[in-house]
Amino acid sequence: MNIQFKKGVLELCVLVVLCRKDYYGYELVQTISKNIDIAEGTVYPLLRRLTKEGYFTTYIQESTEGPARKYYQITDKGRQYQAVLLEEWTRFITGVNSLIGKEDVA
Amino acid sequence: MNREKFLAELKAALGRMPESEKREVLADYEEHFRMGMAEGKDEEQIAASLGNPRLLGKSYAIDALLEEPKGGGGVSAVSVLRALFASISLTFFNLIFILGPLLGLVGVMIGLWAAAVSLPLAGVATLVSPLATLVAPGFFTLSGISPAFLVFAGIGVAAIGLLAVIGMWKLTRLFVLMIAAYVKFNARIVTRRK
Repeated sequence: MNIQFKKGVLELCVLVVLCRKDYYGYELVQTISKNIDIAEGTVYPLLRRLTKEGYFTTYIQESTEGPARKYYQITDKGRQYQAVLLEEWTRFITGVNSLIGKEDVA
Repeated sequence: MNREKFLAELKAALGRMPESEKREVLADYEEHFRMGMAEGKDEEQIAASLGNPRLLGKSYAIDALLEEPKGGGGVSAVSVLRALFASISLTFFNLIFILGPLLGLVGVMIGLWAAAVSLPLAGVATLVSPLATLVAPGFFTLSGISPAFLVFAGIGVAAIGLLAVIGMWKLTRLFVLMIAAYVKFNARIVTRRK
């Protein structure tokens, strides 16, 4: 798929996934790359930027297997931003689908 | 590429970022390697699926340059230009299709500034020209134009010139913000290693 297109969608994906529960970096990257074909490393700069912009907070938690993990947790601001992006995305995809569905578009 | 080489290239690409932030960034990737290896993947595999460390590093460096300085004040023109330069080096496409038009626009801005600054100067010169004839009557003449007319015309031109300078100031701010927005947009490219 087109690179320009994917980079915008990746931000939405990260926000949507973190709305469900807290993830540690590796787990989040695996969840996303299982579904969309991306360079896995690009998720980390995105996480860092969105954290700095106040959409996520991070905390360190010990794990039973191996060393401590850095978890990401979405903030209220992040949830609001996710809702806005999701709304935009849904409107966009509905429009595209209705264009694809029609044989001739006037 | 193994873990060590990946981390070294990433670190080199982070550029002027403070040491403490570099360590935080590297820690994220070290954790990623550790967990991938715990799942039985080898270093080469993990590095390949992460992507190009130099491009990843650049996107951090650009984000860091575009951050609003602490305590407000907005994005400075110098940091915007530095980030722009880093962004330009990302792809060849930018070099040809963005740098050319950008330099053209910078030229236009310089031209407009020169025009705006020359107006108040011309106004002040007109305003004081009657004085020049008093100081050196043999050297300067007003060619029959009334001194009162020159004084009022001078004030008028100087006032219009000041408005032009204020307008240019605002236009320049807008120009810098537009470049900042473009660079931010451009820096979010998903960099897939082929």
